[in-house]
Amino acid sequence: MTTVKEAVRLLEDKLGNKVMECKTPEPRRTYVLIKSGYHRDAISLLLETLSETGISTITGTDLGNEIELNYHIRCRGSVITIKNRVPKEKPQIMTITDLIPGATLYEREVFDLLGVIFEGHPHLERLVLSDDWPEGSYPLRKDWDPTVLEEDAPNLRGQPSVMNGGDVEGATSPVVNVVMGPQHPALHEPERFSFKIDGEVVVDVEPRLGYVHRGIEKAAERLMFFQDVYLIERICGICNAAHALCFSQAVESIGNIEIPSRARYLRTIIHELNRIHSHLLLLGVTGFELGYETLFQYVWRDREPVLDVMEMITGNRILTDFITIGGVRRDLKPETHEKIKKPMKKLKKRMKFYKNIFEEDPTLRLRTKGVGILKPSSAKKMCVVGPVARGSGISLDIRRDDAYAAYDEIPFNVITYKDCDSWARLMVRVEEVVESIDIINYALDHLPSGPYRVKVPRRQPEGESVSRVEAPRGELLHYVKSDGSAYPYRVKVRSPTLANIISFREIIRGSYIADIPAALISLDPCFSCTDRMSFVEVNNGRKWHWSLEDIKRLKKRS
Amino acid sequence: MPIDLVFFLRVLIFPGFVFLLAFSLFCDWFERKIRARMQNRMGPSYTGPAGLLQPIADYIKLLTKEDIIPAQATRLLFTVAPVLAVSLFVFTFYYIPIDGLNIIPNSSFEGDLILVLVLITIAEFTMFLSGWSSTNPYSGIGATRVLTQFLGYDIPLIVFAIGPAFLSGSLSISTIARKQTVPFVALTPWTFILFIITLQAELGKDPFDIPHAETEIVAGYVTEFSGRRLAFIEIAKDIQVVLGATLVTVLFLGGPYGPVLFGSSAVWYTFWFIVKVLAVIFLLEYVGSVAARLRIDQVVRANWRWMMPISLLVLALTIVCQPLLSPLVG
Repeated sequence: MTTVKEAVRLLEDKLGNKVMECKTPEPRRTYVLIKSGYHRDAISLLLETLSETGISTITGTDLGNEIELNYHIRCRGSVITIKNRVPKEKPQIMTITDLIPGATLYEREVFDLLGVIFEGHPHLERLVLSDDWPEGSYPLRKDWDPTVLEEDAPNLRGQPSVMNGGDVEGATSPVVNVVMGPQHPALHEPERFSFKIDGEVVVDVEPRLGYVHRGIEKAAERLMFFQDVYLIERICGICNAAHALCFSQAVESIGNIEIPSRARYLRTIIHELNRIHSHLLLLGVTGFELGYETLFQYVWRDREPVLDVMEMITGNRILTDFITIGGVRRDLKPETHEKIKKPMKKLKKRMKFYKNIFEEDPTLRLRTKGVGILKPSSAKKMCVVGPVARGSGISLDIRRDDAYAAYDEIPFNVITYKDCDSWARLMVRVEEVVESIDIINYALDHLPSGPYRVKVPRRQPEGESVSRVEAPRGELLHYVKSDGSAYPYRVKVRSPTLANIISFREIIRGSYIADIPAALISLDPCFSCTDRMSFVEVNNGRKWHWSLEDIKRLKKRS
Repeated sequence: MPIDLVFFLRVLIFPGFVFLLAFSLFCDWFERKIRARMQNRMGPSYTGPAGLLQPIADYIKLLTKEDIIPAQATRLLFTVAPVLAVSLFVFTFYYIPIDGLNIIPNSSFEGDLILVLVLITIAEFTMFLSGWSSTNPYSGIGATRVLTQFLGYDIPLIVFAIGPAFLSGSLSISTIARKQTVPFVALTPWTFILFIITLQAELGKDPFDIPHAETEIVAGYVTEFSGRRLAFIEIAKDIQVVLGATLVTVLFLGGPYGPVLFGSSAVWYTFWFIVKVLAVIFLLEYVGSVAARLRIDQVVRANWRWMMPISLLVLALTIVCQPLLSPLVG
């Protein structure tokens, strides 16, 4: 087995003078600047030498005259960032989707927001921006001007596909197009899936992301680091602690800030509470999606005490605003320990009951067993993360592989199931809740004394950092680049859902309509996490002036 | 029976139209409350005492809403189907003894059990038509599911219903009910259980609420309906539930007949009828609360592979046991 270090050395040897810069500022993080155009050689070399290698994401950064592309390659707890620069006038680069199919969406994202053209990409289309976004306007470039959005007439690219279904290939074809979303009872956030359906069987699906854009990545560049924590926390209502933790870690790594160990433990506690509440939410929603409303009501009732505990610790039930750069914002009083442990004990007992239900209930088994199969080989190809990967038998957990907060000192098990179906993915979550309860109890028992926060200067030194945490849905990655001021130069967020949603097509093709909710929910998609890029000016907004002519034209077309 | 004031009162007020409507609304409330309490919720609580008036409030709201017909829909079917569903279900009740007699006394005849089963089937078909006529993909899939599921369970349901007919030696519903000095549920409990399960499918309740599985196909065949038409479909579903429970009552629980302690027998018979129907609805809700929704292919396969042979076996068993059980049949 070659280690990551050896692989990097091999990379330097083989590519010789094409490696322009190679540094390892901290353990498990390596940044390699490669001569333009040789990134494919570097990545395929890494794929050959290291098993369990996948891509986390691609970050595009506008450096002025050039656009820097960071390919964050993950292998066994380490992240090797392959850097490549393309000129801004002619931003073209070869695709890597043939090497790693999991990079498809990441390349589309960079294309959409920075205008980099990936040659050889199978379908380089918009990913997150709306269809009427002006062409040639790339919001994540530094010289982007929001006034381009103030044009009056909507520039519709092709047919607005809001029509609800209809025949696909003429009247004789049995295949019907059924659109789910942006508003649909199975989806709790706006997103659109266009299914091609033959009778009751799904032939194909085409997801369209991007209905919940808030332009957080761009907005983060306009706020100071300490302000960004609050913005970043609002990326997602469910896994907010994970986002805040990940961002804080990245900034701390840039500024070489050592946080007190009490803060590390407190962070772990709130992170795990967050995981419990997220998993319970999902298990309840599973009941709803499968028409098992009693399960839904029961699980959500048992989730309430978790929210109460969060409120007791942080003052808020959902958006905790607890983790900040340099530690946490509040201390934990010793008398609250018991108040946390008591509901946790009760919940642990309830989880046994739910585990029994998921294992024994015949209707639940019929609906989830053998549904939405994701084989380990395709899971690896698609680079899925978190419970989706663990449900396919891939032991992948950032908490263990790339230990952060207090996870290097706390014992816990990584749950994997080999069934590769929706049931396995749900069972992983059921058991992870129990693990999380144990982690919280251990952290409370071994909570070190001392300060819970250190003062952090507003200005951070120049530098960059990749930070990863295991969010409830899987690997969450933040990339932060600082230019020495109090404002970040670039913030990049790769949420776990974007990594997992790519597998949905593979999972759902050939199954029944009724399996759509069961399969989708087992991925635990969170679209507000996924759709945070791009930028819409809040104050002047996008103006829609629909003239009578426009409406008539649309009517005629449909 | 002469067509006089009593006739009109029986047909329109009690035990006819008004009573049926009020009872269906009450059962709607009962269902919702039972389901809610089982799921650790409150259920309807604010409109009227204990939320009793909630179903009425819901219907009044629906009736005042805008009524939209999709431009592509088949207008005639779209209008007629909901009304037809309600009238067919109400009409079926005319062959069921409620206060000891049928709504029109002495209108029962040998073979009205078959008529009732046929009417229920036709009423089911109107639901398919209502979905099919609205030309929406969700409605279309919902309508096909109604029909597919119906193909699976309808034959077992009829075969199970024949069992009590064999035991009592009659195809008339009121005779079957009257002959149960010992309720048939005690004589052939296995038929009763299987009948309840197939009925669950007939009524489209969990685990068989596939035709209107909301997380898959929104509201299924009713997706495009709104306002008055939706109100009609909803009331038809309410009456359908009561009808299903009534069918169980007359076939297995002795219908409205029970001990008369004092006073008028009609009052006591109505009382027993209501109690038994509510008990059956409770049972149906209980089954629905502890199951997840199945998939259409699983239902159809299970019905043809298991329910069909089982229903025939059960029928054979009933025929074999009939001489042994006949002393117990009044």
